[in-house]
Amino acid sequence: MSGADHLPLRVRETEMISPLLKRFVFEAADGGELPPAGAGAHLRLTLEGEGRRWKNAYSIVSAPADRSHLSIIVRRVSPSRGGSAFLHEAVHPGAVVAAHEPGNLFPMSHIARKHLMVSGGIGLTPFLSYLEAIEATGADFELRHFCRDEEIPIFERILSGFDAGRITIHPASAPFDLSQALASQPLGTHLYTCGPEALMGLVLAAARDHGWPASKLHSESFGGAHAGGLPFTAILKKSGLKVAVRDDQTLLEAIEEAGLEPDCLCRGGACGVCLTSVLEGEPDHRDHFLEGAESASNRSIMICVSRAKTQNIVLDL
Amino acid sequence: MPVSGIVSRPTYEALAIDPAGRRHLFVADHAFEPDPGVFAALPSEAPVELWRALAEARVGSGAGPRANALARDFRSTTQLLDALAYRLERERVGLRLYAVGLESFVWDVARLARGLGMDSSEYRLSHVGSNRRRVYCVHCRAITENVATNVVACSGCGANLFVRDHFSRRLAAFMGFQIDAEAPGEVPPIEEAFP
Ligand code: FES
Repeated sequence: MSGADHLPLRVRETEMISPLLKRFVFEAADGGELPPAGAGAHLRLTLEGEGRRWKNAYSIVSAPADRSHLSIIVRRVSPSRGGSAFLHEAVHPGAVVAAHEPGNLFPMSHIARKHLMVSGGIGLTPFLSYLEAIEATGADFELRHFCRDEEIPIFERILSGFDAGRITIHPASAPFDLSQALASQPLGTHLYTCGPEALMGLVLAAARDHGWPASKLHSESFGGAHAGGLPFTAILKKSGLKVAVRDDQTLLEAIEEAGLEPDCLCRGGACGVCLTSVLEGEPDHRDHFLEGAESASNRSIMICVSRAKTQNIVLDL
Repeated sequence: MPVSGIVSRPTYEALAIDPAGRRHLFVADHAFEPDPGVFAALPSEAPVELWRALAEARVGSGAGPRANALARDFRSTTQLLDALAYRLERERVGLRLYAVGLESFVWDVARLARGLGMDSSEYRLSHVGSNRRRVYCVHCRAITENVATNVVACSGCGANLFVRDHFSRRLAAFMGFQIDAEAPGEVPPIEEAFP
């Protein structure tokens, strides 16, 4: 997988959906057709700020069949030095942003007889493209969305174009209980969850408890959720570099800032592409890729999400 | 893991329950009595059902494999598969299905279950009984049941079919190819191959 960002996109328009959520609509900078992006695909943008560069991935929320534009919804997250804040403040209609071809690590099952989606907060975004795809095929679905109480009207508005009878918005203040939904799904239903780690953990555990097989459970955690932690230093043996990883950036971002372009794809600890050997030091694993024993051996690290427990970590890069 | 529709002879594991399931349905093409040890891994309140196709109908004979198990007997595998289709259409995720019997039967069950949305982590197949094969004629597509010999006359076109080890999960049958296509009548010695 190449790390090249060959897809220049022009911002066609932006819309403030709420004080924290902003929709960006992109078109190809050359005015042509955009590459295909299936439901659940994400777009990786290279954002050049003053003296800083971010590579952030956002779920595409526009209809997969429409090749004229791609839309994303960006939540402004603290710290305000992040890429999302940069998008909110500094990227305006007309601007051209470098992107990678859309990738998809969260595709819909083609054999599912029904799609049950459970999202939390901004984790709703991949399901907006699912809903577009479902609308086109008429597949059966149910969506359960969890959000902070005060954000209910915002998400109601975002979801207003879709079949309200099959969508339930749960206030985060209510006790978490999906038993009824999990116990009543027809055979052949696939469950997808996206949102904060804690929510996804609850959803997946509850589903297993109701006898759902792993083959019908799908989850996606989004990049940015992993940023942050204590600062540490990465020593890159092959390149002879010493990289200081700040508290507000990922190890991968820091390595990229230092001028390297290590292989990566999902930037969310799921795909396995960024696996790197650890020569010294102890990783703080935050990925979903390494198996228990592999993870415990501390000989490999997924640099897109994981950090270091030790002050220094020596990598084979 | 082969992905094509035609794979070589499947292998089977001993019948074991999947305790992750919420409800368990056993279907058998004979008077199957599960070993009570099979249920050891289950909490006692987990619903278990046993459906059997019996040679002579003893419908309602009802003694289940354990106290809270429901038993239901059928006059034929056809009737059982019919009832199973109706049931699976109304079932919910959390069910585990176990098919016990001849290869043709367990794969009929698998095909039905797949068609109604179950995948191989939700059903288990256990081959017991004779090794007789269901043979699919690749020439006329007729099915010949209960084949015990290496060569058999096709029930459809009458061709002498050599029974291959290639098993199609989609058809729940072994492939049969005409053996004397070049020299009609030249058939190797017929032996009992699948007792
Ligand atoms: S880039 Fe996918 S696991 Fe790191």
